[in-house]
This record gives sequence, structure tokens and C-alpha cells, in this order.
Amino acid sequence: MGTFGEYIKSAFSSIKNNKGRSFLTMLGIIIGIAAVLTVLIIGDGMKATVNSEMDSIGATTISVSLDNTKTDKLFTKDDLEEIEAAIDNIYGVSPSISVWGETQVRGEKYDMDISGGSQAMEHGSGVKMVHGRYFSASDVEDGKKVCVLSQIAAKKLFGYENAVGETVTITAYDLTADFQVIGIREDTSMDEAYASYMEEPAYMGDVPYTAAAGAFSLNIDNMSSFTIYLESENKNAVLSKARSVVENVMGLRGEGAVKISSGYGFDQTTDTILTIITSVVAIIAAISLLVGGIGVMNIMTVSVTERTREIGIRKSLGARTSSILTQFLAEAAILTFTGGIIGIILGISLSYLICRIIDFSFTVNPMLVALVVAISTGIGLFFGIYPARRAAKLDPIEALRTE
Amino acid sequence: MKKLVEIKDVSKIYNPGENEVRALNHVNLTIGEGEFVAIIGQSGSGKSTLMNMLGCLDTPTSGKYYLHGQDVSHMTDDEQSDVRNREIGFIFQGFNLIPSLTALENVELPLIYRGVGKKERERLSNAALNSVGLEKRKTHKPSEMSGGQQQRVAIARAIAQAPPILLADEPTGNLDTGSTKEIISIIKRLYKEGRTVIIITHDPGIAAQAKRIITISDGQIKSDVINKDYSED
Repeated sequence: MGTFGEYIKSAFSSIKNNKGRSFLTMLGIIIGIAAVLTVLIIGDGMKATVNSEMDSIGATTISVSLDNTKTDKLFTKDDLEEIEAAIDNIYGVSPSISVWGETQVRGEKYDMDISGGSQAMEHGSGVKMVHGRYFSASDVEDGKKVCVLSQIAAKKLFGYENAVGETVTITAYDLTADFQVIGIREDTSMDEAYASYMEEPAYMGDVPYTAAAGAFSLNIDNMSSFTIYLESENKNAVLSKARSVVENVMGLRGEGAVKISSGYGFDQTTDTILTIITSVVAIIAAISLLVGGIGVMNIMTVSVTERTREIGIRKSLGARTSSILTQFLAEAAILTFTGGIIGIILGISLSYLICRIIDFSFTVNPMLVALVVAISTGIGLFFGIYPARRAAKLDPIEALRTE
Repeated sequence: MKKLVEIKDVSKIYNPGENEVRALNHVNLTIGEGEFVAIIGQSGSGKSTLMNMLGCLDTPTSGKYYLHGQDVSHMTDDEQSDVRNREIGFIFQGFNLIPSLTALENVELPLIYRGVGKKERERLSNAALNSVGLEKRKTHKPSEMSGGQQQRVAIARAIAQAPPILLADEPTGNLDTGSTKEIISIIKRLYKEGRTVIIITHDPGIAAQAKRIITISDGQIKSDVINKDYSED
């Protein structure tokens, strides 16, 4: 181990004796490491920023369903009420009953896509009231036949937007019922998409699920799924609690029959896209690291050629192949390690500056830094092997003869 | 007198085949412990090949070389390195100091390769430098020293770890008359202290300083005589 220290020392002194050249060699590594690190840190910042933007949108949903291959139990209205009461920090739970019906206005027939749910649906993303109000808990409890229409539906059915107080007659499953319009909500992209079907445009409206059940003779005690409406900041807390609550209420403990999905689909997609973008840019930056590595190999080869005589002297004094190999590898590793450290400082400073300017959140993952140090030293060892082996294999007589 | 070097029927052939050169042609040579030998020959006589052979820098094409009774004629590179480190102190014509290292660091090199610890290394190196009168030049680099001083550093490096053989290849070839005298007197002193010294030279004046003179020509030993005119100083 003592001799190993000596090789490191002699590697250091050789680097010191060629300051200018060593610095230029390191520059390739410095730029490469700084570029890769900057891209990765900014990429992390971008992801964190986009995610927090998404969370700040506010409302989100969690869907709960039962796996019908594992249980034949279904949710009843009472189950839902019990579950709703047992979970804190939520707007409420709602079944999602879809009724496909039609309505007749001024002799024209229109398709209607009616969503039956609880008052909690008001907290679904994209629900914004423009006229009147959403239906309330008591409307749901009483099974009142009231209805919230989209702007586009109101205009189509009644010829004007503020149709609060009008009555819409809906026929489904051969049953017909009148619903009083109590509110108009802003159109979502779904409303627009449904309304623009050329062949059979459809219009959307929300009604209390109890009213839908009463009007169209549906059983509301055999639902296989429901949705929890909540604020996104409470999401993790609710996610961790929901399963045990549902299992308790349904008596399904330990059967793995409850499926919970976080409705994070959109977030996950963006996350994946951002990761791909960051990776691609990082790979491009890594090419500069490769070029830096080749620079190290080049300079080490020159160094070996220049110091052929020195290697001959060392061998004549009893240096083994491994001693010479270690000395030159250490030299390459020290160059790239030092370059790596400077590159990290530069990369962190640069990404900090950029994150400040474009207002991304700035965090440095220590694992990433450790990885980058390992990579830069690895490059030194990898690209140093060829010249170092060449040095170690030199014939001492030949080497001593060179001037 | 114990045998130190024993060369038996050694030949060295370069470019075997059509343009082959017999640098050494069935050479037999024995050198005992504590001898002071000069090997003299013109350039192309084979003396450099013999010196490389004696210094374990090269291996014979045929024949055997026993050093301290150990057959060193067929060894791997690393084994040769170890033998050189243990048995031989080289003194070269061109000094062969490493320019980036100080005098002391140069003297320490063979001790590093031997695995001697730092303290002991410094003690031995300092003692060696003192014995060649360079106690004031320890931190100087080779470029800051005269040729004679550089050769004294090289001698210190050769004796620091007390190898049994000092092998000097034209040790005064690059030096002026004053420095030559100085170096020769140091070498003689080392011999008197009990070391085996082998000088390779083309210069009869230098060879005449040794106790035994071996003449080599065309890869063969032509004469091997005791120097009657040997003087102690």
C-alpha cells in the first residue's frame, strides 16, 4: 500500500510538471461532466416544477373498484355513505352511473349522455358553474329529478344558454322522466367532442344518481365502482387510507379484491415524457464526455511517448509492469477525477443559475453527484488503459536508448 | 572467492535467419564477489549486449547465466525487474536521472520499487547522497546540477539499497577530465568498501583503472588479464 501511495504521488508530480497540458486535457472532461450534470439537474427541476404545477390545479380523483374475479360483493348506497364518512379530507365519494338516453325538443330527437352521481361530482376537474347551481346533498338524498347541463347542451336544446328553470324530458330504457334544469356548467373538451359528432351528436348532463335510479328503475345497491373526489394535496394521505377503509366496510380484508387507481395517469405520462427528453439531451451531452475521454487517451499516449526514457529508467531500477501500469493509470484517473470535481462545481453553479432564471425548482441529488464522480474516474481508467499498457510493456533496453 | 556472476556458453543472436547478427558468440565468464572488472571493447564488439545480459535487461538466445547461483537466463519481465532491483546498481553513461524528480527522489526510486518504507527509504537515500558528497544538493533537480554531480546522484541511486553488483556503462563518457577523476575515485572507493564493480568501456584509460581487464571483440572474449599496474588511488 505504501508503494501504491508512491505511484499516486509520482502521478501527481507528473501532472504538476505539465500544468498547461494537464489542464487542457481536463477541460474536455470538465465540459463533458458539467454539461451532463447541468442537463440532468435542470431536467429534475423541470419535472419537479411541472409536477407541482399539476398539483396546484387542485382537484383530483381516486377510483375504487372491486375485482369481480375475487369477490361477488358489490357496493350499495349505504356502503358508499359509510366509506365517505370514514375517510377524512375528501369532498365526497360518488358512484358513476352512465345513462344513454334521448330527449325530444321541438320535434327534434337528441342523444343524451347522462352522468348520475353525487354532489361530489361538482369537484371533478373541469366542472365550473356558469348559471344556477350544482345539485346538493339533499337533492341526492331526496332523489330530486334535477339536472345540470353543459353550455352547449342548453343552447342546442333550448336555443339559449341560461336555461335554468326549463325542463328536459329524457327517455331511457323505455322509461321517460322530466328533469328540471337547475344549473349550467362550462363546456369541457368532452362536451365539445360529443356535440361535434357528425352523425349523431350527443349532449351531456349531470343528475343525482338517486334520481336517475328512480326515473329509469336502476338498482343503486349493486355498483362495482365509485370515485373519490378530493384536493390533490391530500392525495397521498387518502390513497394510503382508502384501501383499508373499503376493505373494512365491505368485509374484504386480506382478499386483495379492492383495486385503487390514483387517476394520476396524466401526471405519469408527462413525467415519462420529461424523463425521455432529459435522457436524450443527457445522451447528447455525454458525447462530449466521450470526446473528453478520447482526449485523455491522446494525451496519455503522448505522455508515454515523451517519457519512454523515464519508463526505461524506472524498469532498469526494478519497476514491474504493474508498477508502471499503476502509475500511468493513476495519472489518467487523477486527471479525470479532478476534471470531474471541477465539472461538478461548474455544472451545479450553471444549473443553479439557469434554474433561477427560468424559475425551475433547484435540487441536487447527492447520488447523481456520486455517480458523476464515478463515471469521470471510470473514463480515466478506461481510456488510460491502452496508453498505460503500452508504457508498461516497453522493453527497457529500447526505452533507455530513446533520447 | 565466491562466484557471483557465471556466464556459460552464452550466445545472443539478433534477427535469427538471413541477416543474423551474433552479438555474443559462446561467451564464458566468471566474476567473483568483490572483484573490480573492466570490460573493454570497440563499438559493435558486443560489449553493450554483454552489459545488458549482465544487468538482466536481456536474456541470452542460448547458454546460461547464473547470478548468485540462480539461473536468470529465462525469466519473465517481472522476475527480471525483481532481480535487477535486488542485485544490480546501474550507472549509465547518460546518468539516466528522471528530470522531474529531485536528487533525493531519484535516489529513492529503487527503494520504492523494493517496497522500503518512507522513513527507512529517506535514511538510506540520505546516507547514499552523503557518501558521494552531495549532502547539499538533495533537493536539486538534475537540470540544476553539473554532469559530475548528476553522475554522483546516479551512483548514490545505484548504491542506496546496497546491491551486490555495481554495473557501470561508460560512466565517464559524458564527463570532463575533472569530473571523470572524481567519479573514478568514488567507484574505486566503493570497490574498496567491498562491492563488486563491473565497468563497461571503450576507453583503455578507464579500463586501466580496474583490477581485471576483459577485452571483447566480435562477440567473443579475446583476453582476460589481471591489471599489474592497478593502483589504489
